[in-house]
Amino acid sequence: MSKGALLFAFNSPKYNYYEMAVATAKRINHFLDLPVTIVTDEKSLPDTIAYTFDKTIFTVADPSNKRDWGVWINKGRFQAYDLSPYDETLLLDTDYMVNSDKLLKTFELPTDFCCHDTTSFLMHPGVPQEVLSVYSFKTLWATAVNFKKTKRAESIFDSLQMIQNNFNHYADIHGFISATFRNDYALTLATRIVNGHTTLPQDVIPWNLVHVGKNTTIYRNSDDPLNTEYTVMFDNWIRGKIRKEYTIIKNMDFHVMNKENFMELIK
Amino acid sequence: MDTKKLIAEAKARFNHNSTKAYLKDKYDSKFIVAVQNGLWRANLETINFLNASTDTEIILIDTFNNPVKVVRQELLDKLNTVYAITMEEWYNEWSELEKKR
Repeated sequence: MSKGALLFAFNSPKYNYYEMAVATAKRINHFLDLPVTIVTDEKSLPDTIAYTFDKTIFTVADPSNKRDWGVWINKGRFQAYDLSPYDETLLLDTDYMVNSDKLLKTFELPTDFCCHDTTSFLMHPGVPQEVLSVYSFKTLWATAVNFKKTKRAESIFDSLQMIQNNFNHYADIHGFISATFRNDYALTLATRIVNGHTTLPQDVIPWNLVHVGKNTTIYRNSDDPLNTEYTVMFDNWIRGKIRKEYTIIKNMDFHVMNKENFMELIK
Repeated sequence: MDTKKLIAEAKARFNHNSTKAYLKDKYDSKFIVAVQNGLWRANLETINFLNASTDTEIILIDTFNNPVKVVRQELLDKLNTVYAITMEEWYNEWSELEKKR
């Protein structure tokens, strides 16, 4: 059974996702000892290729999705099932900072599909879990997904495509804002559809996805490209004033929401 | 980036509560063990239950809520090892960070 990681990376006018994918792929190679395939478009390729992916798969980018900061090319993730060259695939966001071999455990889980359903924020203990809307479900996270080539996993990705194509309809039903397409929301609904409108315990990675959220900045503690120790700085607003707080983390994976911060970390 | 200088210049305070939460997040996943067709957490409850029994095989509910028949001693040894190693690492990292102000 072949195992590998799959990254989707399409450059937007604001962010170089290909560069992020290269940095993440190097870390996956080092810490997880897995080959990495990238799904991208020809426009995102740099002039000189300094890193060779296991495979580079070209597809057409869909620039129709927008966020407050501009174009966000996150559609098309449903193609992961068809495009992955591996029997068992770890599908990761490019802004996921791999610092340990923890994700290898997702290959050992007795399931054909799993993702996170619970998150925690560094320096923000106790933040409530995100829900699609007050009337709907707890969000699953598309940040890190492990799947095998089975009929059920294929059905989940087929449903993901159906939901992407009819996102407004599902937003109306579940009461969330459809202006920006979210893979997390689509995945939440896709797994529920395939599982008979429920979430199976087996579909959940049994530990938290760690986010680096707002007012939080991460700094490398060394210039080693494979550095695993970081200082986490947090602006804690107390009675209208900022109090700077920090902690030090090491050998821990995290997902950086602030893309500028991620780019700083991989420089 | 000289992070020590950054901390000093920002007059940043070490946050012990966030550090405790980070350590819990980090080490929680290390207690997870997938063996004998089930997914287990190396916690005191499971270890003590396995320890209290004298049966060769035993049926337990795993973390996916599935009943799984296991070879008791084999699972106990594995969970004991994982628990000891993980707690040792957790304690050492906490001891190091606890000194910071």
